[in-house]
Amino acid sequence: MSLRDWPIRKKLTALLLLISSVVLLLTSAAFVTYEVAAFRQTTLKNLSTLGRVIAANSTASLAFANQADAKEILSALRAESHVVAAALYDKDGRLFSRYPATLRDDALPAAPERDGYRFEHGYVIGLEPVAETGNPRLGTLYLQSDMKAVSHTLRLSAAIAAGVMAISLLMAYLLAAVLQRRVADPILALAETAAAVSTRQDYSVRAPKLGEDELGTLTDAFNLMLGRIEDQNRELRHYATELEQRVADRTHELEDRNEALRRNAAELLAANTELDAFAYSVSHDLRAPLRSIDGFSQVLLEDYGTQLDEPGRDSLQRVRAASQRMALLIDDLLKLARFSRAEMRTEVVDLSKIAGEIVAELQRSTPDRQVECAIAQGLEARGDSRLLRVVLENLLRNGWKYTAKQPRPRIEFASVAGNGERVFLVRDNGAGFDMQYADKLFGVFQRLHSAAEFEGTGVGLATVRRIIARHGGRIWAEAVVDQGATFYFTL
Amino acid sequence: MAFLSARLARACKPLAVWGVSVAWILGSALALVPAPDLAAQAARPSEYQVKAVFLFNFAQFVDWPPEAVADSQAPLTIGVLGENPFGDVLDATVRGERRGARSFVVRRYQRVEDIKICDILFISRPEGDRPEGVLADLKRRPILTVSDADGFAEHGGMIGFVTDRNRIRLKINLGVVQAAHLTISSKLLRVAEIINPPGP
Repeated sequence: MSLRDWPIRKKLTALLLLISSVVLLLTSAAFVTYEVAAFRQTTLKNLSTLGRVIAANSTASLAFANQADAKEILSALRAESHVVAAALYDKDGRLFSRYPATLRDDALPAAPERDGYRFEHGYVIGLEPVAETGNPRLGTLYLQSDMKAVSHTLRLSAAIAAGVMAISLLMAYLLAAVLQRRVADPILALAETAAAVSTRQDYSVRAPKLGEDELGTLTDAFNLMLGRIEDQNRELRHYATELEQRVADRTHELEDRNEALRRNAAELLAANTELDAFAYSVSHDLRAPLRSIDGFSQVLLEDYGTQLDEPGRDSLQRVRAASQRMALLIDDLLKLARFSRAEMRTEVVDLSKIAGEIVAELQRSTPDRQVECAIAQGLEARGDSRLLRVVLENLLRNGWKYTAKQPRPRIEFASVAGNGERVFLVRDNGAGFDMQYADKLFGVFQRLHSAAEFEGTGVGLATVRRIIARHGGRIWAEAVVDQGATFYFTL
Repeated sequence: MAFLSARLARACKPLAVWGVSVAWILGSALALVPAPDLAAQAARPSEYQVKAVFLFNFAQFVDWPPEAVADSQAPLTIGVLGENPFGDVLDATVRGERRGARSFVVRRYQRVEDIKICDILFISRPEGDRPEGVLADLKRRPILTVSDADGFAEHGGMIGFVTDRNRIRLKINLGVVQAAHLTISSKLLRVAEIINPPGP
């Protein structure tokens, strides 16, 4: 596990221990160094003190050449175990006495060198002049001490330093183990809270605040954030519930309306069907008496025409004309009803071809008229060819009819693109109409011109609209009086 | 019997951290034991050369009463009464030497009456063998009397040279010394045999 993955408690403890160790190491090194340096100085000083005492005691021995006394004085050095060798030289530099008595000559300098105390070859050596104060020199004292005391001090200092370090580190560890909690616990509490939030999605938990420091501030901010999230969640849940309720309400409402619409549509369909059936039966049933009226009026004119005067014959002629016109009306109404109910067979229909056939038929029935016909080629649409023929026949026949008083009549069948769909149009330059009556144009029996002006029953455009509607399309018209009209339709 | 001890003191440097101070004194009692005869050295000085040096060295271990020292600058006088056995060795020994501010001077006397100012007096053999008269004349004068005559110290002299197996030993009559108000260093007493300790 790398250092950065350590738990924070371990990290803090390790950090504190590391700092303690470094400080302790430096302190211990300084302590040991100081101890050893100080002890070396002390060793020199002690040896020089010893040297002065021995030298002062040795004056008479040298002055009066008493070797027994000198030996005795030097033998007192037994008490100082570190002194491994000592010697007295007389004023001429000759060896006078030695310690220990068994010491070999080569273990001692042949003659005393310069006075003073110093470290030499792993020993402390000292050369002390022997003289009574203010009097000539009597000789020299030589002392040689081993460094065992120094190394002993070094070992002792090192052992003490190691002991202090071990105890200090133990204390540091115990303190760190206790004190790291002050830093680690708030962080751990935050981490636990965060984990609880992320695993259980429970925003109601709160991190415990353990102090007013930066971690306390962080805890506060975290808790505040949790609170906000909780509030927002509650609000969101509220909105969601409300929205669901609304959707349910609206759905319910729509279902109700749909139901009502379905009911209405069914009722309308039933009514329409009934109405069509009624119109059909009425029209059908009206034809028989009408035929009797026309037939017997004809019989009357042919068989008894001579017995009637001129106004009588004229009246009978009017009865016949009226009954024939009524028969025409009834035929148109029957057609309207039939096209409304007829079953549709959808296929691709060549509208241009149908328009051409109709225009040719019109020309044949009224050969004396000269009408310019512009029929765009290749116009096709999906629909019932029989019904679409009825549409085009009505529109083109209207154009033919209302251009009768025009010196240069013209009829056009074309298509334009408009609003993403194809719009077919039939245009003429005939009588036109006033746009203020445009909405009445497609009503049954609605006529904008008198029968005297232009003949017609007022059922044709109603039939056209019914067929267009059955194809799912729309139909509308634009016109200017005496300048022509344009009928647009989509399928 | 004088009993001297050398005290060796050794103070241990206190351990800095704890401030514990440890000090102890080592004491050692030294007893006088007969010294074994060391092998004779090669270039051995003559008997009177040694005695001359001893005479000169006495000046370092003896203190005279203040009234005996007329002047701190005055020379310290070593006198030889009677026949001079030193030749010029004694003069050579003290030449150029000083004790503190005092230089040394050697005088020779034929008679006791000649002695006026003297600090250390060596009495030669003939006079030293019967010293009572001479010593009576010098009685109570602050003069350190020395001789190599037999039994000199026993006969009222202060310091006698005793030759013992080629070694010159000292014998000091401490009662006479103190009667003359002279003070002999304990170090000198250490290397000497003391007789006639001062009575109560």
